[in-house]
Amino acid sequence: MSAIETVGLEREYRGGLKAVAGVDLHVQAGEVYGFLGPNGAGKTTTVRMLVTLLRPTGGRATVAGFDVATEPAQVRRRIGVALQEASLDLLMTGRELVELQATLHGISPRDVAGRTQELIERVGLTQAQDRRVATYSGGMRRRLDLAMALVHEPEVLFLDEPTTGLDPVSRLTLWEEVRRLKGEGTTVFLTTQYLEEADQLADRVGIINQGQIVAEGTPASLKAEIDRPRLNVSLVDPDRLEQARTLLAGFGDERPSTENADLSFAVDGGAKAIAPVVRALDDAGIDVAALQVVEPSLDDVFVKKTGHHLEGTDAAADAHGVAVPPAVEPA
Amino acid sequence: MTANLLIVRALMFRALNEITRVPGAAIPGVLAPTIFMVGLASVFGKAANLPGFTSEDFLTFIVPVGLLQGAGFTGAATGVNLARDIEQGWFDRLLLCPSPRAALLSGIVASAGLRSLLPGTFLFIVAVLLGVDFPGFLELLVAVPLVMGFACLMACWGVILALRFRSQQAAPLMQMGNFIAVLFSTSYAPKELLANWLEVFATFNPVTLILEGVRQGFVGQVTWADTWPAFLSLAGLLAIFGALAVRGLRRYGI
Amino acid sequence: MIRASVALGRRGLRNAFRRPQFLAPLIIFPTLFLAVNVGGLNRTTDLPGFPEVDGFLDFQLAAAITQSLMLGGVSSGIAMALEIEGGFFDRMVAAPIPRTAIVLGRLITTAVLAVAQIAYFVVLGLVFGASIKGGFEGLLVMLGIGTLAGIGFGAIGTTLALRAKSASTVQGIFPLVFVVLFISSAFFPRALLSSPSDTIAEYNPLSYIADGLRDPIISTVNAAPVLEGLAAAGLVAVAGTALSVLALRGRLRDA
Repeated sequence: MSAIETVGLEREYRGGLKAVAGVDLHVQAGEVYGFLGPNGAGKTTTVRMLVTLLRPTGGRATVAGFDVATEPAQVRRRIGVALQEASLDLLMTGRELVELQATLHGISPRDVAGRTQELIERVGLTQAQDRRVATYSGGMRRRLDLAMALVHEPEVLFLDEPTTGLDPVSRLTLWEEVRRLKGEGTTVFLTTQYLEEADQLADRVGIINQGQIVAEGTPASLKAEIDRPRLNVSLVDPDRLEQARTLLAGFGDERPSTENADLSFAVDGGAKAIAPVVRALDDAGIDVAALQVVEPSLDDVFVKKTGHHLEGTDAAADAHGVAVPPAVEPA
Repeated sequence: MTANLLIVRALMFRALNEITRVPGAAIPGVLAPTIFMVGLASVFGKAANLPGFTSEDFLTFIVPVGLLQGAGFTGAATGVNLARDIEQGWFDRLLLCPSPRAALLSGIVASAGLRSLLPGTFLFIVAVLLGVDFPGFLELLVAVPLVMGFACLMACWGVILALRFRSQQAAPLMQMGNFIAVLFSTSYAPKELLANWLEVFATFNPVTLILEGVRQGFVGQVTWADTWPAFLSLAGLLAIFGALAVRGLRRYGI
Repeated sequence: MIRASVALGRRGLRNAFRRPQFLAPLIIFPTLFLAVNVGGLNRTTDLPGFPEVDGFLDFQLAAAITQSLMLGGVSSGIAMALEIEGGFFDRMVAAPIPRTAIVLGRLITTAVLAVAQIAYFVVLGLVFGASIKGGFEGLLVMLGIGTLAGIGFGAIGTTLALRAKSASTVQGIFPLVFVVLFISSAFFPRALLSSPSDTIAEYNPLSYIADGLRDPIISTVNAAPVLEGLAAAGLVAVAGTALSVLALRGRLRDA
């Protein structure tokens, strides 16, 4: 069964600008679907239509089996939404907010307190539940937002850039929670600007550009579609570059490219291809300084399909490549 | 139905946080109508000496104006708060609830009715301290629902503008609606003493009936003849502006 | 100095007209209030002790002008506070212009706006049947008193902005405008005010500014009210300007 299905979904703004221009999506129940796109690609507009905050101007969309335009109340009953820039009422405490959300979703007064405690515990905010949200850190606010989105046990959960601006520790906590939800059978529609996030969490990824889906598939299939892994070899002695190049020509189906003392060529089989290459170079007495298999990344896919890097890529690299001390969250 | 009432109650209590949890936030809204009333009375007080004036004391005559202005300020503030909620994204969260849009609107609007008791009570106490006669409980029983209802009405007006402009910059428009509705009536003097154009305007202004409904207990006895038009006018206006606000809410999203 | 002040003044005017949401209340609120007062209390001119006037509109016009000029002062303060919040103020301080030009430029803006405000209300009054008894000479007197008062109110607004540094704080004095007006003879003859407003009004410079603006409308120009009006407006202008220059110095010292 499809959890989300769109056919030719469109949104045209006044002035004729088509933010979304015919999007077809099929997200299976229980799937984690990563929705990627550069700024202004139509990502947020698509999500706002799917969660019944914006009326489509063309095509149709069903979520959890109900039409977003004609049966919005049914859709709302079955979806949970954690919005970008978690908009929370800073004057209220975490517990009050979850309780309010539960009431707004029609949960009976008898069950409100119990359900609230369960969720607050689940997202690790038990200690902070009676403090005003104004005192929460960014990570705590996102977790509270998630708890609110889960209050009515939604079939489909929309997470709009859930980790943007979070420190690495908070980000990992949220990733864990998404995996757990998937384990429980919840469908997750995740928009993100972090390719690593999509790579880690999504069963399938869709890339939207200029209002249209330009690529869709599992992260592995998308990467395989654009290129095979490459083997990069650095030599100790640059003078032997040509000799090594001739020697290694037989390992890939292209003659290795060279730069300074480095060779690079596409190989099938990834890491398994390393041993024969090393053996051949060793037999010829050519010393190797470094050797590395480089898998194509989702960013490569992204660049190929859209012509530019995803906006958060650098930030993501910073967050993961640089040793950022984990932010201490007041608990 | 019960679920909807619970939603209305929950949203009302949330709106009360704005005055109970932000120190000092309530002060301008509470003081302004009282200052305005006392100021008007001290400046134009001698107007009550004019032949044909229905009250011996100008302050007593304009207490209802102050009560309705305070309620109107509260209603407008509800509109401004909604505009802020729209700007900050909190409103999206409300829209994502499966509850009927009318229930969401009722919660927002009813909070204005409840909050209007604060400036109203303060103004009433100041007025009594300055010598206005205590009107009696039956009289208050008529005046209080009218004042609270007027706050709900101006909240609907604020909500309509907030949904239309989606920005707090619409605040002066919200206030202006209140200003015109209350003052372009028999606010300052009985109809016979008004300039011709204002007399015509006040006759057609349905808020005049509400104002006179609140005023009757202060300047004389509560009569059925002054009471039913006030409630009918308020109910009619609430029905029209409530419907417009619900329509705005429906058009806002899906 | 003068060139810099004029340049900043022109810039202020340009910005004022680009932000109609700040400019509109200066006209709209006093106009509405004028309409309500005149429509609701037009018979009060029959009260014993009310000065000889053609109509209550003639009497109220000066009140509307005074109120509008005071709101102009608040608006001027808000504009300055927004410049402080937005960082433009620091850029002006860093520029090679005399510091006083920052305040003078703002006052030039206020003065030009004051002339426009007075002109608007005079035209409005004439359209709805008021007359300027003092004629052209009276109009000049009104412009003189009004512009001076406008500069004074603008300087007070600017002082507040330099001290408070936040637009919302300056905005918060909005109700105070009404309070100060209610304890003056701007809206009603001093002899007919209730106690204690009548006593306070005697010491309130606003009473003299409003009466000075009113005299040329309701009668031929009389020396006493006009001179008192000029003196009160001049006092407010000089004191306000001095305070704002002091506030500027204070702010530069703290920075």
